[in-house]
Amino acid sequence: MHRYKFVLYRPLQLLPVLFGISVITFVLVRLIPGDPARVLLGTRATPTAIARIREQYGLDEPIWLQYFYFIENLGRGEMGKSILYKIDVLKLIATRIEPTLMLVLTSVVLSILIALPMSAIAARCQGRLPDHAVRIVSTMGIGFPPFWLALMLIIFFSVQLDLFPVSGYGETIPEKLWHLALPSLTIALSLSAVITRSLRAAMIHSLRSDVATAARARGMPEGIVFWRHVLPNSLVPTINLLAVNIGWLIGGSVVVESVFALPGMGQLLVRAIFSRDYMVVQGVAMVFACATVLVNFLADIITVTVDPRVKL
Amino acid sequence: MTALLSIRDLVVNFHGGPEPRTLIDRVSVDLAKGEILGLVGESGSGKSLLCRAVMGLLPSRRLSVDGGSVMLEGRDLVRASTADMLSVRGREIGMIFQNPTSHLDPVMKIGDQIAEGIRFHEGAGGREAREAAVEMLAKVGFPDPSRQYDSYPHEFSGGMRQRAMIAAALSCRPKILIADEPTTALDVTIQAQILELLLDLRESLGLSVILITHDLGIVAQTCDRIAVMRGGRLVEQGPKREVLAAPRHDYTRMLIGSHPSLPAAGEAKPAAAHRQARPLLEVDDLHVRFDVGGSFLRFGGRKQVSAVKGVSFQVMEGDTIGIVGESGSGKSTLARAILGLTPLSSGHVTFDGVDLAQQPGRALAKLRRETAMVFQDPLNALNPRFTVAETLGEVLKVNGMPSADIPGRIDELLDLVHLGREFAGRKPRSLSGGQCQRVGIARALAVNPRLIIADECVAALDVTIQKQIVDLFAELKARMNLTLLFIAHDLAIVRNLCERVLVMYHGEVVEDGPSAEIFARPQRPYTAALIGAVPDIDPDKKLLAPRSDTAPAAA
Repeated sequence: MHRYKFVLYRPLQLLPVLFGISVITFVLVRLIPGDPARVLLGTRATPTAIARIREQYGLDEPIWLQYFYFIENLGRGEMGKSILYKIDVLKLIATRIEPTLMLVLTSVVLSILIALPMSAIAARCQGRLPDHAVRIVSTMGIGFPPFWLALMLIIFFSVQLDLFPVSGYGETIPEKLWHLALPSLTIALSLSAVITRSLRAAMIHSLRSDVATAARARGMPEGIVFWRHVLPNSLVPTINLLAVNIGWLIGGSVVVESVFALPGMGQLLVRAIFSRDYMVVQGVAMVFACATVLVNFLADIITVTVDPRVKL
Repeated sequence: MTALLSIRDLVVNFHGGPEPRTLIDRVSVDLAKGEILGLVGESGSGKSLLCRAVMGLLPSRRLSVDGGSVMLEGRDLVRASTADMLSVRGREIGMIFQNPTSHLDPVMKIGDQIAEGIRFHEGAGGREAREAAVEMLAKVGFPDPSRQYDSYPHEFSGGMRQRAMIAAALSCRPKILIADEPTTALDVTIQAQILELLLDLRESLGLSVILITHDLGIVAQTCDRIAVMRGGRLVEQGPKREVLAAPRHDYTRMLIGSHPSLPAAGEAKPAAAHRQARPLLEVDDLHVRFDVGGSFLRFGGRKQVSAVKGVSFQVMEGDTIGIVGESGSGKSTLARAILGLTPLSSGHVTFDGVDLAQQPGRALAKLRRETAMVFQDPLNALNPRFTVAETLGEVLKVNGMPSADIPGRIDELLDLVHLGREFAGRKPRSLSGGQCQRVGIARALAVNPRLIIADECVAALDVTIQKQIVDLFAELKARMNLTLLFIAHDLAIVRNLCERVLVMYHGEVVEDGPSAEIFARPQRPYTAALIGAVPDIDPDKKLLAPRSDTAPAAA
């Protein structure tokens, strides 16, 4: 099992990565023009009131000292107080993380369910009608912007057919899934297009590979050749592509959450940026960054499991 | 003698253009029970395609069998249904390929790849199939089959992978084995073991074999009958001894004439006449080590492998030195280190008095100007977007030749390598392998090098082309007093071209001396095994028995 040793030391290697991310988000947030105290006070902003708020949130300290406090708080499992919501950022995020997590999860599952059969059909009918159809659909999926897709889906499935809710989130699991159907379909349509293109190319390559020829020469029927040899060999490059895209997706959920009014992290982030809520912005950015790092770590574990040649 | 498999007037056409192109033209050949038939010919002669047609596995949808029959025990395979062919493939005819690495599934246990066929064809259960597969692994020489069942292909050496592929092909006890260049990718000593295994399996399983090869030595050592193909036609067939002793067709004669043979012991070539005091190249206690593993913040020490361990030798101006050894013995690393393409770990490389370790800048500049390299893959070593003239002109320009003189020099170089001057405007795609390699040599000669290093530069070529290139080197050597380091795994070529030979094994030079001497009286058992494993074209000169009965353990 020495091939899985990286599971133990990889998290340690990630510490410097996370340190870098924290510095960058911390500094970048403070580069955004505007002052949280001013935003918070609005029309009541007098110089003394602003100074009091700035002092209260430690914004009058030099930036390196602010960063030091930030790290110190992080060590105690706190991320500072949200200026807007007046509660600890971590607690705030905890209330908002579930819809985003569910959205990403359902989108990924849906994408795989769409991409796998599409690419299999396209690869096995290469150059013929089904292949052309899949390629046109996947190019369209990549081409349409998510916000437009989302609106079209709402018009068709919610307004015309009245099948799914227009917006919001439910209480029970089935209710939640029902609310997530259109948002995750929006994401899945573009994500599955990306996966389909990669998987189709990998499958075509594998179908023509020596491995497939050798299996056919042993008298294996096309079905066995495909499921036992072509598919596993095509998955390896696609896993990493999927991981990169999930990382992008976590950040990209902002648009979809806004359109469908899902009370998730994306929505929280948008609101925090508008109100210069530094603590929330950097907290959410840190969580997004950690999630991306975590997804890639999981992808590494899956790759090592699927491909015995890989050593990390 | 009744034929087990009988191919009659088989025609395979390619339907791409307006007219179908005939790739296999009315080939008829028989395979008797228990016989080994050698199918020889150069690349493009259609020998692999013929076997693919027999298996019903033509590599493209544009290819089709348009005539003739393939009779296997009364059934015509050309007309068999897809379902029938599934039971023929693997069950009646097994097939193994040139490159076991690319033909074995890298993400599947080797045992499962063997058991797969048993489960499908014989309907065996999981445990039954596993037992049969383990038995098969033992039969092809895996020392610890029940444990090695669970290993993946990349955990084995090339020779063991080929054994695994043979096991997979024979798992359902087919009557016929088609072996398509099964040893071309292997070292000579491993090749000898695999050939030995095939002969054993023929005995124990009563197998009939079609052995596709370009090496007449292999045919002479293993086959009963020979069929010679050229341009899709069968030009000659007959019993091995008859064909080799009295070839009827010109092409067969040419193939036999091109085969590089080790000359009989005793005849020594004259040594180079006059010797200067200072060697052109001196390699002294050279070590090259590579780091393996060890990444950013990884725990556990860095590991190193030594590719070259303490190699020392001298090359005089005008010497032709062959470096031989199996793959992984450090030949190519040594060549790269001499040219300064790989950093030296310790030791010295002195070229014309300048030490690469002490004055790297000066030595590198000098090496770049005065040495040249010819590569193994002639096509990939040339820029596909450059014409021959541009390829050669680039080198001349970089070396500061005035542009007015360049066209004249290009013509001169083409003459030197016997390429017509009309080739100047062609691109590598429209050249044959041999022509590409001639361009590669012309490019090497362009700088008027004092030292040329040729790294396996004929390994990718057909025998007849191989001979032409080797002859070209011999001619250039005589005409221009070239100093040549010739790296090859083909001992016969080295023996014929080089006066001196270095034998490398695991990064060390284990033997160094005049070729005639070493080939006649090898001092080290490794050298003897290497020489003994070369299949001779004379069927009476038997291959040495493999070094031991058991196959080497998995790497």
